Amino acid sequence: MTATTITTEAETFDVEVSARSLGRNLPQRIGRRLWLPMLAMAVMAFAAAMVVGAVRGYRIDGGDARNIETLRQLAAGLMFIGFASVFAAISFAIARILGELRKGGGDLQEAAGRVVKTLRMPLTAKLFLGLMAMAMMTLIATVVAHLGLALSVSESATTLVDSEKWFVVLEGVRRAGVAVYLFAIVLGLATISQVLRFQAVRLRKLPQEPGASER
Amino acid sequence: MSAVLDAVRHPGSARASALPSQLRSAGLAAGLAGIALVSVALVANLAVAADGGTGRADTLAWTFGLTTAGFVVLKSGIALTLVGILLRVRDRIDAAKSSLPALAGPTAVGPGSESEVATSFGRASRTIRALDPLPIHRMARLMWAPMVVMGPMLVAAGLVTSILQASADSAGDTAAYSAWTQGLQFLGEGLVLAGISFLLGVILGELRRGGGEVQEALGVTVWTLKMPLSAKLFVVLMATGVMVSIAQFALYVVAASVSDPTTWFAVLGPLREVGLGLLLSGIVLALFTIGTVLGFQFDRMRTLVRGEER
Repeated sequence: MTATTITTEAETFDVEVSARSLGRNLPQRIGRRLWLPMLAMAVMAFAAAMVVGAVRGYRIDGGDARNIETLRQLAAGLMFIGFASVFAAISFAIARILGELRKGGGDLQEAAGRVVKTLRMPLTAKLFLGLMAMAMMTLIATVVAHLGLALSVSESATTLVDSEKWFVVLEGVRRAGVAVYLFAIVLGLATISQVLRFQAVRLRKLPQEPGASER
Repeated sequence: MSAVLDAVRHPGSARASALPSQLRSAGLAAGLAGIALVSVALVANLAVAADGGTGRADTLAWTFGLTTAGFVVLKSGIALTLVGILLRVRDRIDAAKSSLPALAGPTAVGPGSESEVATSFGRASRTIRALDPLPIHRMARLMWAPMVVMGPMLVAAGLVTSILQASADSAGDTAAYSAWTQGLQFLGEGLVLAGISFLLGVILGELRRGGGEVQEALGVTVWTLKMPLSAKLFVVLMATGVMVSIAQFALYVVAASVSDPTTWFAVLGPLREVGLGLLLSGIVLALFTIGTVLGFQFDRMRTLVRGEER
């Protein structure tokens, strides 16, 4: 396997050259396996958060303040387990698409008896993976903090004033986490756009290249 | 926006060939702008977290509006990138049309009778000609742009009411503005996500049309994947998510007029988030379906190139 570049009028692509299709890389294989468990977890967490929110709404008029605050922290924690999971599922589904493009493009070139050229992982893809991991850890940290506060408030270890203060802090942090996740998704989609461009360029060049029998 | 719509409607134009890269860059720029807006709100939240007075409530009012505006800028970036992907898909279809005749295997057999066949990607139709787009694809082509335009307008209106909320004097006005802010902004976010869902539907429609056209141009039996279960569930989740987003808006309008909306807010908070969650879950299934269709199309192209089945 060697590295080379393909240059068009408008852009240059860094590619790996091989005799056979390279198949899916590790993040793409993980994406294929994990998108569905993440989606299932998101659906369950959203349903649980909705139920806890409804219970809180039922008790908020004249109920025990500590109990209501516990439910608020719990509902926020559950809701953001849902959002962390659904954004992870979206990211894994994008990785799965990239995997289909990488494997399918390689298999097609191999079937045509041509040298297999595969786009090297672009910078947008590397940033996509890094930011996705960062955003997921941020959201999980806020979820753990919300659930910890729910427990702490219910056991009277944290005052209502402190709980309110931490809720405001965590709200800001988890929103930042969501924003980073959304940006990671933009980067993942930008990578798909770049791979599609590369494949169109490659497809147009294939007929002019010598086949296996001519080399 | 008109340039984008023109390029989507007239894929062969000179504008359309340069636009995908510009859209990709614009999408990334919108993403960075969204991050910047949310960062401002985060800093403001952290600054007032320990302050228990009305100053904190006022700050939290406008930071809520600003954060949601930041999210919508980010989602608009996603929509722009998806339009770029749509144009790239068309370019790839054109490339396949021009190259496959030279690559396809020699065992030419004329198109057979129309039938259905099971593949490792799901059931597929075998027809002589490319199939027409499905009604949902036609609907998606009509609906994505209005949704992507209306959503940010509603969120901007919500940002204005959040600023009014921050400067309101009475508790009644504060609660009413808060209700309007939440209702408008979450309806706006819901519409932008619906626009993204419709764009994914347009991409799926384009893959179906292009796949059929490439095979028809080759003179082989046209294999088209039948709508997978994931695509059907995507439509259901998207429709439910939009309905929940509209319902939460209507209920917030009611809440704006009641004397003590505390209970309303407690229930509507999770409801509005669940509406967005349903839309996002639908987007996961749409992306999964796109991956499946791509796998099916690569498999079909490989079969044709090997000359195994035409």
